[in-house]
Amino acid sequence: MQMPRAVLSVPLWTPLLALLTAALRIASPLAAEPHISGLAVAFEGRQALLSFRLEEATGERFLQRVESGLPTGFELTFELVRQRRGWFDRTLDTNRLQVVAMYDALAREYLVNYKLGGKLIRSRMVRDLEALEEAMTHFEREPIFHLDPMPPDLRLRIRLRAELGSKTIFSLIPARVTTEWVESERFRPPT
Amino acid sequence: MSLKGRLHRHRKDYPLMVGVLVVLLLLFSGIFYLLLRRRGLPEALITNKVLLFVLFYVNIILILAILFVLLRNIFKLVLERRSGLLGAKLKTKLVFANIGLSLIPVLLLFITAFGILQDSIDRWFDTPQRQMLEYGRDLAQALRDQVDREVLAGAEIGLEALNGLNVSDPVESQSLRQQVNELLASLDLDLLGVYEGTEFVYEAVDPRAGVSESPRPDRRFLTEAVSEGEASGSLELERFGADGLLVLAARADASDPPVVVVAGSRLGPELLTPMTRLIRDYQTDRQLEVQKEEIKASHLLFFIMVTLLILLTSSWLGVVVARQVTVPIQALARGTRRISQGDLSHRVEMPADDELGVLVGSFNRMTEELAQNRRVIEESHLELMAANERLAEERALIAAVLENVAAGVISIDLDGRVLTCNGGALQMVQQGPEELEGRQIREAWSDPERAKLLPSLEAEREPVEGREVHLALGGEWKTLAVQVRDMSDAAGRRTGRVVLLEDLTELTKAQQLAAWTEAARRIAHEIKNPLTPIRLSAERLLRKHREGQELGPAIEDAAEIIGREVASMQSMVDEFSRYARMPSPRPETVDLSRLLDDTVRLYEEIKPGVDVEGEVDDGAREARLDPEQIKRVLINLLDNALEATEPPGRVTVDAHRRNGLLEIRVADTGRGIPPEAKEKLFRPYFSTKGRGTGLGLAIVYRIVSEHHGSIRVEDNRPTGTVFTLELPV
Repeated sequence: MQMPRAVLSVPLWTPLLALLTAALRIASPLAAEPHISGLAVAFEGRQALLSFRLEEATGERFLQRVESGLPTGFELTFELVRQRRGWFDRTLDTNRLQVVAMYDALAREYLVNYKLGGKLIRSRMVRDLEALEEAMTHFEREPIFHLDPMPPDLRLRIRLRAELGSKTIFSLIPARVTTEWVESERFRPPT
Repeated sequence: MSLKGRLHRHRKDYPLMVGVLVVLLLLFSGIFYLLLRRRGLPEALITNKVLLFVLFYVNIILILAILFVLLRNIFKLVLERRSGLLGAKLKTKLVFANIGLSLIPVLLLFITAFGILQDSIDRWFDTPQRQMLEYGRDLAQALRDQVDREVLAGAEIGLEALNGLNVSDPVESQSLRQQVNELLASLDLDLLGVYEGTEFVYEAVDPRAGVSESPRPDRRFLTEAVSEGEASGSLELERFGADGLLVLAARADASDPPVVVVAGSRLGPELLTPMTRLIRDYQTDRQLEVQKEEIKASHLLFFIMVTLLILLTSSWLGVVVARQVTVPIQALARGTRRISQGDLSHRVEMPADDELGVLVGSFNRMTEELAQNRRVIEESHLELMAANERLAEERALIAAVLENVAAGVISIDLDGRVLTCNGGALQMVQQGPEELEGRQIREAWSDPERAKLLPSLEAEREPVEGREVHLALGGEWKTLAVQVRDMSDAAGRRTGRVVLLEDLTELTKAQQLAAWTEAARRIAHEIKNPLTPIRLSAERLLRKHREGQELGPAIEDAAEIIGREVASMQSMVDEFSRYARMPSPRPETVDLSRLLDDTVRLYEEIKPGVDVEGEVDDGAREARLDPEQIKRVLINLLDNALEATEPPGRVTVDAHRRNGLLEIRVADTGRGIPPEAKEKLFRPYFSTKGRGTGLGLAIVYRIVSEHHGSIRVEDNRPTGTVFTLELPV
């Protein structure tokens, strides 16, 4: 029996592309478990203070990496955006917070450095993994943005995404491990 | 642009493209390196990541390059095959053969090598050495823990020893110092310091520690001790002028402000260095494990890169080799097409020094030779055309001449087929051109009269100098003189015969008229000669009778004279009567040898000093002819020969076959015949002897003609005459 022409005309690469897309989807950072929760914005004057937690960010691979003495950490990207979805220039400001832990295996101490916009803002020494995880994933009132005077009716949000490291897909393709973007509740700029 | 130019341009483009790609790759690698440096990663890790980055994108570039090369060439091959370009199929086969031949072993090698590598990497982290590294780490950490505990115990002892002492009271300062120094010595510490809160009070340092200035913990350490009751830490002694590490511990009491005792114990390089190395080696091992996936990826990408490079090289080489083979072939095909269209100036430009280059060179030389040959042919053609024109003109001239000459000219080939004949010939033989041209001469002249001409035309015969043939055509007699000559080409090869016919009818008639005139004159003369004595005798008798003389003797004399003259006239009349009444020949098979012998014997010893001989060839012993008439011919010829030959002399008669004819020759060594007499020799009543009737040779000629033969007279060498008879067998 003759096959329908539409079936015959399907190119060979179409199913291959679908399979590849599915595989990448499964292995991609979009399907990773780490995520951000509890993003809250507070103000101290014009200083926007952010509190949030990185969930499921410190897995076995993270711990192995820390124990090996390698600088291990996350990079958090913040964006101050207008409350206008789809707007082409909704981003008003960006900032980056790097949290890097260094393990001193002889003293069994973990030195955690915090860099905001590339500048070291503080260091913290912890002595156990629980404290290390706490120090690297729980952030309270971090002064990420300093807001300039803005129209009071402007509605703003802060977006946040964490880059947790890298991995290889199929032991071949290097890929970054990131969380989804998380947005805060909308707020008005402080007067 | 020429093919050479296109090749040159491609050769210039490829290094440029490769160079741009390398520069871009280096640029992106540098940017990536700087980004990693900003994150404070160690050098080895950055190198590994950059390597991964480079390998990954090199592979991407290679994959794209291979896809580009393959797709571009497949597209070109499809187009070339659809357009029916010569060499496209060969090119397709070469490209896919090269790729196929390299792909299968490369893929097998890749899979095998990658499996072995994966297994090897996994084995890196499952070895006894790793266990030893863990033991080393545990040992170093245990040692450090012990030092920490000892220092912390020292701090606690010191705090207890100083309990109740107001450390900030200057009065008790001396006592504080003394106790701290004693404690330093007794606890075997290298440092013992006292702080009130975070404020420094006193510190004692063992001189054996070798520090140049008193090391003090930072405020954070003290703050932690104040807030937590105890704290641990360490100080690098390098900035205090010593080697090693100062392990610190602090204890604080519950007073306000709390008294904080800081104890320190120095870990010298002899201990610290191996401890640090143990830890570092362990961590290096762990780092490798952490990076295992990336290392695997790097190796996999490296293998893929090598595989792709091989594939790219093989496919590229396949294309290049195929191009090197097919491009000259295509150029040759184009050249062949151009040449087939007549463009002999086309040359194939192909810079190649292999066999194909030789082929191209041969092709160009062949084309050059073809061009030269064509020039020669064109020149020859022009010359040939001119020659043909000249020949046509000459032929037309010859044809016009032949058409306008009275003589008949017929050409026949070696097979006896009539090639050409002119109007004169057609008129003579009374035939149309369609009856002669292209036909066999035997068929065209198959009738009895025209067949008399055939014996002269036999291809195997010697050329005929001249022969008279008498034909009865259209109710009238014709006398034709026939000459036959060989026809040869430029190389001298015999190609046929040319028959020349001359109509002698009118001439013969004129000759016959002259002969009859001569005959009348001779007859009158012959009659007049006896009449004169008769008339004189009659006149003498009449005169004697008138004079009355006695008539008896006179009558006797007159009667004798008259009788003699009448007898002479009677003889002459009989001779004429015989010539006139000559019967038609009655041919029969004759033993010519016997006939010749009988005839020759009649003349033996008739004339002393003149030998008469006869000879007959074996092939001529039998012939079909009238023996009486032929004998008469021979007798007439022998009579003349003997009469013309003075002793000593010789007369020979011989017979033989030649060209299908019987040839009889009668030769003498006599005085010969003048040339002017030869023409009239066979006319009736012509005689060179001044006596006789002159009918002998006329009778000979008539008998021979009635036998469909011919007779001719020639000079004998050195003297004499030869009569040659040619009779059809």
